[in-house]
Amino acid sequence: MIAAQTVSTMSFFFASLALLCWAAVVLIGTGALLGRFVSRPIPLVESLGADIRRVALPLAWLIAAVTMLGSLYYSRIQHYIPCELCWYQRICIYPFAVILGIAAWRRDAGVRVYAVPVLAIGAMVAAYHTWVQAYPPVDGTSFCTADAPCTLRYVWEFGFVSLPFMALSACCCMIVLLLIARPAPRTATTSESS
Amino acid sequence: MSNQPSSNGPSSTRWIWIGIAVVVVVVGVLAFVVTRSDGSGGGSATPNGDGATPGVTVVPVGKVAVGAIVVTGTQLPEIATSGTDPAVGQVIPTIEGQTFDGTALSIGPTGEPTIIMVVAHWCPHCQREVPFLQSWLTANGAPEGVRLVALATSNDSGKPNYPAGQWLVREKWTIPTMVDDKASDGAQALGVTGFPYFIVVDAEGKVIERTSGELTTTQWEALIAAAKSGSAQPTA
Repeated sequence: MIAAQTVSTMSFFFASLALLCWAAVVLIGTGALLGRFVSRPIPLVESLGADIRRVALPLAWLIAAVTMLGSLYYSRIQHYIPCELCWYQRICIYPFAVILGIAAWRRDAGVRVYAVPVLAIGAMVAAYHTWVQAYPPVDGTSFCTADAPCTLRYVWEFGFVSLPFMALSACCCMIVLLLIARPAPRTATTSESS
Repeated sequence: MSNQPSSNGPSSTRWIWIGIAVVVVVVGVLAFVVTRSDGSGGGSATPNGDGATPGVTVVPVGKVAVGAIVVTGTQLPEIATSGTDPAVGQVIPTIEGQTFDGTALSIGPTGEPTIIMVVAHWCPHCQREVPFLQSWLTANGAPEGVRLVALATSNDSGKPNYPAGQWLVREKWTIPTMVDDKASDGAQALGVTGFPYFIVVDAEGKVIERTSGELTTTQWEALIAAAKSGSAQPTA
């Protein structure tokens, strides 16, 4: 009973974080569009945008780390068996729990060149998996494999948030953050502090 | 321009981090309060089986979650990915077990053509197939001269829609259903590789046809025809 409540609490928590990721994607996207198409820049938006660009890289790393830990929580503690599609998403996300950490430490926004394509692949797989879980195929050959079916909804929060939806949210948010990342040069920080 | 740090950079980014931390903490507290207060366990995993509707069913209480079964005979091979099913013509093993309310039930050669359905409580395809078949049975009645029996397997308390017995009660499932053991030995004995799974056997217990996946009405009626005729029927 306690275990069931714990997984419910964790699922609610992770699902809420996934929705916050989408909120961030929408806000950052809107801000980027405003910055590009509005002739008179809004000082507050511009200032906030600059700050978000500076924290974007470590924030993307944080999302990758939390996604990895959440994924490990479900598979190692709750013993949910990852299906084939889950593994593809893990392959696309797990490395960035380390790589983006190093990039954030080195303030190397150039990591986006390597990270975004991989995360985009992860997002595509996650989008397909989200679709499969939301609408399991109805043709005559549709079935669940006995060991780890891709259609099994271990998590289904708010009527639509599944585990692949969470992965999709994380991938999209990381992509957006990496695209806008402009970390302050280390020397600039040094001069500020001196 | 945006590459340049703003004049108040470090302090303003600090507020962003503090804001993110506050939001995460608030979400965590909210998750704890919501999932602990309503007692529903949110929307994930294990919807409970309360509210089961009593009715005409062979699983009136569905309290048995995992059964004890005894398998005798030769295990069926798995369905080949292409070509002829190697199990066709082979006599199915006999599985002795019980229904969800503890009544003894046997799956095996019984002297009459039989369709065996294998379902898993967590499988979304089974969750659609069960009401579909029950609706067909309600409309058409049990097929004459064909025994229908089911095996609820892959029972796992960590997966959604557990336990299977209460799910089948909710669906007003009328087909006698055996509950498989924890190791799913019954399903393994029948060579099950996916759910839902159907095995058509003749009166001697020899396999006529096996198939896996959701069935259309035509496909389901073809299985009944196969059981009656003793040979697999085309569905097209």
